[in-house]
Amino acid sequence: MAPRSDSQTVATGSGVSDGSDQSSIDPIFHLLRILPFSFLRPPRLRLKIPSFTLPSPMTVYALILLTYFLVVSGFVYDVIVEPPGIGSTQDPVTGTIRPVVFMSGRVNGQYIIEGLSSGFMFVLGGIGIVMLDLALDKNKAKSVKASYAVAGVSSIVIGYVMSFWRKQTTGREHSRIPRRSKTVNGTVLRHDEPFSLLSVPAS
Amino acid sequence: MGGKSEPAKSESMATTTTSPDLINSSFFSFKSLKLKTKQQELLLRISILGLVYILAFIARLFSVLRYESMIHEFDPYFNYRTTLFLTEKGFYEFWNWFDSESWYPLGRIIGGTLYPGLMVTAALIYWALRFLRFFVHIREVCVLTAPFFASNTTLVAYFFGKEIWDTGAGLVAAVLIAICPGYISRSVAGSYDNEAVAIFALLLTFYLFVKAVNTGSLAWALASAFGYFYMVSAWGGYVFIINLVPLYVLVLLITGRYSMRLYIAYNCMYILGMLLAMQIRFVGFQHVQSGEHMGAMGVFLLMQVFYFLDWVKYQLNDTKLFQTFLRITVTSAIMVGGIALGLGTASGYISPWTGRFYSLLDPTYAKDHIPIIASVSEHQPTAWSSFMFDYHILLFLFPAGLYFCFKRLSDATIFIVMYGLTSLYFAGVMVRLILVATPAVCLISAIAVSATVKNLTSLLRTKQKVSQTGSTKGAGSSKASSKVTLDQSQPFQKNGAIALLVGVFYLLSRYAIHCTWVTSEAYSSPSIVLAARGAHGNRILFDDYREAYYWLRQNTPTDAKIMSWWDYGYQITAMGNRTVIVDNNTWNNTHIATVGRAMSSNEDEAYEIMRSLDVNYVLVVFGGVTGYSSDDINKFLWMVRIGGGVYPVIKEPEYLVNGEFRVDKGASPKMLNCLMYKLCYYRFGELTTEYGKPPGYDRARGVEIGNKDIKLEHLEEAYTTSNWIVRIYRVKPPTNRL
Repeated sequence: MAPRSDSQTVATGSGVSDGSDQSSIDPIFHLLRILPFSFLRPPRLRLKIPSFTLPSPMTVYALILLTYFLVVSGFVYDVIVEPPGIGSTQDPVTGTIRPVVFMSGRVNGQYIIEGLSSGFMFVLGGIGIVMLDLALDKNKAKSVKASYAVAGVSSIVIGYVMSFWRKQTTGREHSRIPRRSKTVNGTVLRHDEPFSLLSVPAS
Repeated sequence: MGGKSEPAKSESMATTTTSPDLINSSFFSFKSLKLKTKQQELLLRISILGLVYILAFIARLFSVLRYESMIHEFDPYFNYRTTLFLTEKGFYEFWNWFDSESWYPLGRIIGGTLYPGLMVTAALIYWALRFLRFFVHIREVCVLTAPFFASNTTLVAYFFGKEIWDTGAGLVAAVLIAICPGYISRSVAGSYDNEAVAIFALLLTFYLFVKAVNTGSLAWALASAFGYFYMVSAWGGYVFIINLVPLYVLVLLITGRYSMRLYIAYNCMYILGMLLAMQIRFVGFQHVQSGEHMGAMGVFLLMQVFYFLDWVKYQLNDTKLFQTFLRITVTSAIMVGGIALGLGTASGYISPWTGRFYSLLDPTYAKDHIPIIASVSEHQPTAWSSFMFDYHILLFLFPAGLYFCFKRLSDATIFIVMYGLTSLYFAGVMVRLILVATPAVCLISAIAVSATVKNLTSLLRTKQKVSQTGSTKGAGSSKASSKVTLDQSQPFQKNGAIALLVGVFYLLSRYAIHCTWVTSEAYSSPSIVLAARGAHGNRILFDDYREAYYWLRQNTPTDAKIMSWWDYGYQITAMGNRTVIVDNNTWNNTHIATVGRAMSSNEDEAYEIMRSLDVNYVLVVFGGVTGYSSDDINKFLWMVRIGGGVYPVIKEPEYLVNGEFRVDKGASPKMLNCLMYKLCYYRFGELTTEYGKPPGYDRARGVEIGNKDIKLEHLEEAYTTSNWIVRIYRVKPPTNRL
């Protein structure tokens, strides 16, 4: 294959060309041989052109998992909109500042920590499934397989519960649909958002 | 996993092999129906695909059942109007259409500035139905085009999954994509937009190209070129294909997977696809002139260099000579390519990346330079909650699927990994592009599901394989030696596998429940009819938009010109059948800025601008009575920004108080006197909107308005809808001079 042979022989190419300068057909090489190097003497160096080897698939997979974590955590959103790391409200009774983890009132909004932790939960769940597959690999010892299986199942369960379970019980998904716009920031709301009325009080 | 036809749900296989005995003994008439395993498997597959097809169609029909069969939102109205024109006047009139009813006084060359794929598709379906003597209205065809093509997409997803992994993954992919909210959001019945057809075309093109690379057949490459042509005719997002495919080819070249199949597939698709794409007037010569398409051309030339080098290597038998020749050729090819690109860009022949696509690479670009793009909420970057809302379980399965793809690398899996990663990154930059990432995420997740279920069921089946005396398929010597040690833990393993299968089933069922809930609650609203819950929990519908447009249609002279913000332009021309000043196409920023300036100036200056544009009526949307938050006052700052971008007379800080946008007594005087304020709040000061609040209480902003006593000098109120959502004003002719 052309590229592989190219990468492998570039490293040895410098050595080969030094030894076979009579048979080289490279015109620039001949030009250089005449012009500066007929009176300049190149020093003897022991440098090697760094060879480029392709990384193994699993290395690439690890890098891709990292990128996936960043994208799903809403990294681009964090860079552009620059929300605070964590929200805060003031307790009306005591006056203390309490942190608010989940941004409410907007459909497509988040705080930085909220995004990163949710992204981490997704990646954890994904890795759990990967560990389950590793557990079923035939070539390993039984104890290793059992521990992989346990780790995999627990990762999936933790990831699922942390990401989705709370939404079911507290109905957070229901509260994501905003009742009315609290901030007038001029952004046109999504066309597919349902809007809800303030209900007229019965009095 | 040699791609044998093993179904995903193999437990049912185990039971059906034992059931024919029962059938034979009890019902003799069914003896003839006993099918072989292969036929049973085929029947199962076809019935699953049939059910998935119907499911994908039905899941998108919520709004048709709740409201009526109507077109949703803004852009689909333009597509509907053009389709109507096409079916009435024919293809040549449609192709040469110059529309003087929008962008008055400039007009718009519709034939040359739209992507005709969607309209032609709907018109063909309409004519086909008429040929079969089903005389349906074109509107019904338009409304149901999107669900129909969504069903077709599930079939393509099945074949694609079969190509990448095996039939089990294909079936799971079809099911996942049938109900995935990321896709449903833009293909619900009534959403007659380009994406409805474009996602089908995208997946079809990718499937045909991967098939061509796998088989090396010229026929499949030709088919992929035609698929690409369909995609170019359907959506501007074809730029994604023309950049992803060359990138994929480049990755294959780098990983040393160059082959004759790849050469044939890419060359055929690129050349034919480019020539076919030039048939669409809107695209024109962009494939050789635009910077966004240069990557494809560069990779095309690189492929020729590769082929040439391969041929030279085959001719020469001397490796040393070949190495030097290789280095010279590669260096000179790169130099020539670089010089050509530089010359082309410097001379202006190759245009730079347009703003819309450049903002995908540099997300901060739109915010600083192009306010129109930045103002649309669909173009905002994505937060994690939008990902979870649209994907749910698939976010777990995606990294697992990537792992399986990396475990078994082939040309096809490399493609799907690249498609998934690039589209997911773009989905992170812009919320709207979650749609493009959905097929990739569904396919990769399907691989994860299929591989996991296969592993688990193979655990279940080991005991049965031991008991059978026949040959076992995948049994190696390792399995035979570990059979003895596994015997003790076998019941435990079987129970574990059953428990995990139940867990998988639970996860998938939660996914289905979530998707159905999301479709029903969030993505099935037509946006032109608003719904809300009344005091007693009953559903109240506001049909104000259509009320106003039909009032315009019936009560204004036919040559009346309507000025409104660009959001409503398409709907006014389609339903009101009147000329508008600006509409959703937003191709002329100065014209929009003129309208924005008119809306933000005081009444006398605005009257000058309106007279210069021949405006007869002004339409504003006001949500103060109902609490509707997508009204023109909330969009007002964008009018100021866009107007101020062209006319420096308009300065945004003059409308704000301490950086805050207010409409109550503390609002800035410029705000209280501008045309938009007056038109929205005219006579509103006398209205009581909520118990316990003073009259003139704006329910959308939650404040009492500042200026209640509004007098209009140059305009008079023509119509206000029943819930005050749309308000129309007539521009009075100039007073006679004395």
